[in-house]
Amino acid sequence: MTGISGALRKLGDVVGEDHLLTATAAVAPYAVDGQPPLAVAFPGSAEEVAALLGAAAEAKLSVMARGAGSHLYLGSPPEPIGLIAVLTRLNQVVEYDAGDLTVTAQAGMSVGALQGVGGGHGQMFPLDPPGPDSATLGGIVSANLAGPMRMRHGSARDLVIGMRVALSTGEIIKTGGRTVKNVAGYDLGKLFVGSLGSAGMILEVTARLTPLPEAEAAMAAALSPQEAADAAAWVVSSRLEPSACEVLNHTAAEKLGPALPVATEPGKQVILVGLSGEGVAIERQERDIRARIPSSARLDAGVVRDVWRGARSLAYPGNGAVLLRASVPISSLHRMVDAVSALDGWTAVARAGDGLVFASPPLEAEPAEVLRHLSALRSRAASLGGHTVLESASVEMKRRFGVWGEMANADLMRELKRSYDPAGILGCGRFGV
Amino acid sequence: MGSDHTHGQDFPSLPANPIPMLDRKLLKSLERVVGRRNVLTQPADVLVYSYDSSTARGMPDAAVLPAATQEVSAILKLCSQHKIPFVARGAGTNLSGGAAPVRGGLVIGLSRMSKVLSIDPANQIAVVQPGVVNLQFQAMVAPHGLQFCPDPASQKVSTIGGNIAENAGGPHCLKYGVTTNHVLGLTVVLPSGEVRQFGSKALDPPGYDLVGLFVGSEGTFGIATEMTLRLRPLPEGTQVVVGIFDSLQASGEAVSRIIAQGIVAAALEIMDRSTIEAVEASFPSGLPMDAEAFLLIELDGLKEALDARAERCAQICREAGARSVEIGKAPADRDRLWAARKSAFGATARISPAMLVNDATVPRTRIPEVLRQMQDIERKHGLRIAKVFHAGDGNLHSNILYDRAHPEELERAKAASVDIFHLCAGVGGTITGEHGVGAEKPEYMRLIYSPDDLAAQRKLKDLFDPTGIANPGKVLPPAKPEPHMAGAHA
Repeated sequence: MTGISGALRKLGDVVGEDHLLTATAAVAPYAVDGQPPLAVAFPGSAEEVAALLGAAAEAKLSVMARGAGSHLYLGSPPEPIGLIAVLTRLNQVVEYDAGDLTVTAQAGMSVGALQGVGGGHGQMFPLDPPGPDSATLGGIVSANLAGPMRMRHGSARDLVIGMRVALSTGEIIKTGGRTVKNVAGYDLGKLFVGSLGSAGMILEVTARLTPLPEAEAAMAAALSPQEAADAAAWVVSSRLEPSACEVLNHTAAEKLGPALPVATEPGKQVILVGLSGEGVAIERQERDIRARIPSSARLDAGVVRDVWRGARSLAYPGNGAVLLRASVPISSLHRMVDAVSALDGWTAVARAGDGLVFASPPLEAEPAEVLRHLSALRSRAASLGGHTVLESASVEMKRRFGVWGEMANADLMRELKRSYDPAGILGCGRFGV
Repeated sequence: MGSDHTHGQDFPSLPANPIPMLDRKLLKSLERVVGRRNVLTQPADVLVYSYDSSTARGMPDAAVLPAATQEVSAILKLCSQHKIPFVARGAGTNLSGGAAPVRGGLVIGLSRMSKVLSIDPANQIAVVQPGVVNLQFQAMVAPHGLQFCPDPASQKVSTIGGNIAENAGGPHCLKYGVTTNHVLGLTVVLPSGEVRQFGSKALDPPGYDLVGLFVGSEGTFGIATEMTLRLRPLPEGTQVVVGIFDSLQASGEAVSRIIAQGIVAAALEIMDRSTIEAVEASFPSGLPMDAEAFLLIELDGLKEALDARAERCAQICREAGARSVEIGKAPADRDRLWAARKSAFGATARISPAMLVNDATVPRTRIPEVLRQMQDIERKHGLRIAKVFHAGDGNLHSNILYDRAHPEELERAKAASVDIFHLCAGVGGTITGEHGVGAEKPEYMRLIYSPDDLAAQRKLKDLFDPTGIANPGKVLPPAKPEPHMAGAHA
């Protein structure tokens, strides 16, 4: 025990007593999957983060990073957590020059705040993850979370061009740089995007921005499953330039509510197509969509953003709800949607351009039954050439079902992990490697 | 550090390898794998494998031409057992020495692995072998209304395997991203000979992003023998706008304003006077010989939007001081102008006895300042630098012209290239935007990465290639700097 208390003292020395919580009651709200950490630290600089990791490695204290805590449900149930480093004090823009169309910001800055930075210059950070107002840049990059706009703009994997990362060996390293094109050296940043803090702790991110569109609109239609599949395939392969294309099953569409200008009914699906750009381009696309999908209707301008926010929240319901993310080749998307829709009360939200389906059972569903259906969906995705990840569930269900499913090249990935985190303290086992 | 175009008449004489790495027994083993006619050992036969499109040279002990993943695997198992270095090679268009066997050993030529294995329009995916030529592949997917976005200027000859090894860019990556944004999966033969599948046909497979780590590793992690590529619908329409300027800075200013005004162009390319002269001398395209800069703007997307967007770009060019502006309507205009742009490199190589290529890249706002300082560098070293660049993403191709007949000119050209590295690194840029580090630039990695950064990158190399036989001498500098780089910052 003296080892632990000595280690905690060292952590306090790094960040200052005011920025360290160790009392049981104080750390309880920071529990992850019911597991409270021994300590919570609020570092105020990159150097403090590095020093925290150094102290933790020495004491063999496991560490995870935390931003706003919006998406802590992700990942395997953690092993005992030594330290949570909350990075929200690192919330500044490091460099922004509108003409560069890139921004460098600290990991603890919220995505919402980051949008505000470019907005004044007619620019946006084209990631629309769930819960963007609070979710931090470092968090969504660590989780590689994206939203409906991914179809047009890509994910964090595509948008991040540089990073500063603290390693558990005590160094702060830079990956990439500030230019949108850069092939100097290995693309080490890819190791940290989407790996839930298991290889290093992201401190700073440089990302591409994109101009804000002149106008935004969305079209919706309620269709039979076959019609919806055909319509989505048409949108995705057409020469239109949709910013998003989602397919919602009836249960999901109903939850989205009256903002949708189309009446859904059991057995139907709703296709939702996002349009953005010049006014003339939007009008042209609207005409084409109406011609191809006669029952489609344009959303009121005032509700477009709310509908997308709703679609994002449906995909990531949070609050301990069960969420399975399936990823399949895009032509199999409708098969996956149909498989989910065949289950009583399950919502399916699908991203047609990316082959992603988010499936959630009704809250009142029996766990045993949910497990059975999850297994069937996992097999179905695999048979279609894809895979599934259990993004959110109770600890027990995560344990019984397995969050990550079968991981190819697990041996190589474990070696990678060992190589960058030889003390094995980072990420607390949530990444499954 | 750049490339050396010599017209082929004066290759440096390469010493025979002092320690032949391959004994007769090993050669027999290689012949058993690929067949006798696909193992080349005669100096006359392997000479063409001793260089690429850069200054780097090295005589290979043999060139081996496998036809299948299993053959590559068997070859690498032999290399691994006998500690023989190997270098994978596509079309040899590499501009940084990535395909030159600077430490001898085997060159593994992938030209026999040039099949498109499948095109799957419904999934917008194709699976290809590494020796497939980029432009030929584009021609195969275009009838499906699809494109593979990376379009390096070398695409007429360069191969997909090489594009992946280098994480190639091209003019249109301004809008569509570079190669790594368009690769879903890879079959990789590790240096041990072990065959692995990275990635999948579905996005975001669980675990670390091995595909992302492999793309751009310049052949130093192993050899990719099958690649699953993500295709995109072709745009409905394209339109080019051309601005002719009496000042290079003014053309750069026009580019800055186009970006600042939120116009998403498919490509923004600038050629300076020296490059225009070179292009007109070799491939007359009707470019004005007395202009200081030629700006090619390509817009793509829905037809309805293009006219207004083109008019806005034209207006910006006029405001930035363009001497003339033209909106090209006919597809023939587009083809002619792109042919001129894509010939710039070869054309420049033809007007000068030799040139060093530098593709340092800077944040977009720093372009005007870097162009000014580049003129100082030209004056300082008494050399012409022909500039042709992907202005939209800050990627400057500075072709430093010199004459091999005057060895001191090469020294000055090298010094100028180093000045450009320092200049670009100093304004927050990088030493290479798309050509790769290869054999020529490892030392200059120190300008942009600290020893800790480099050590972190080295861990990847050590993991994939623990014995160091995959394309040795490339990408990372040795732990100890060369004397002239001691004390280099970052």
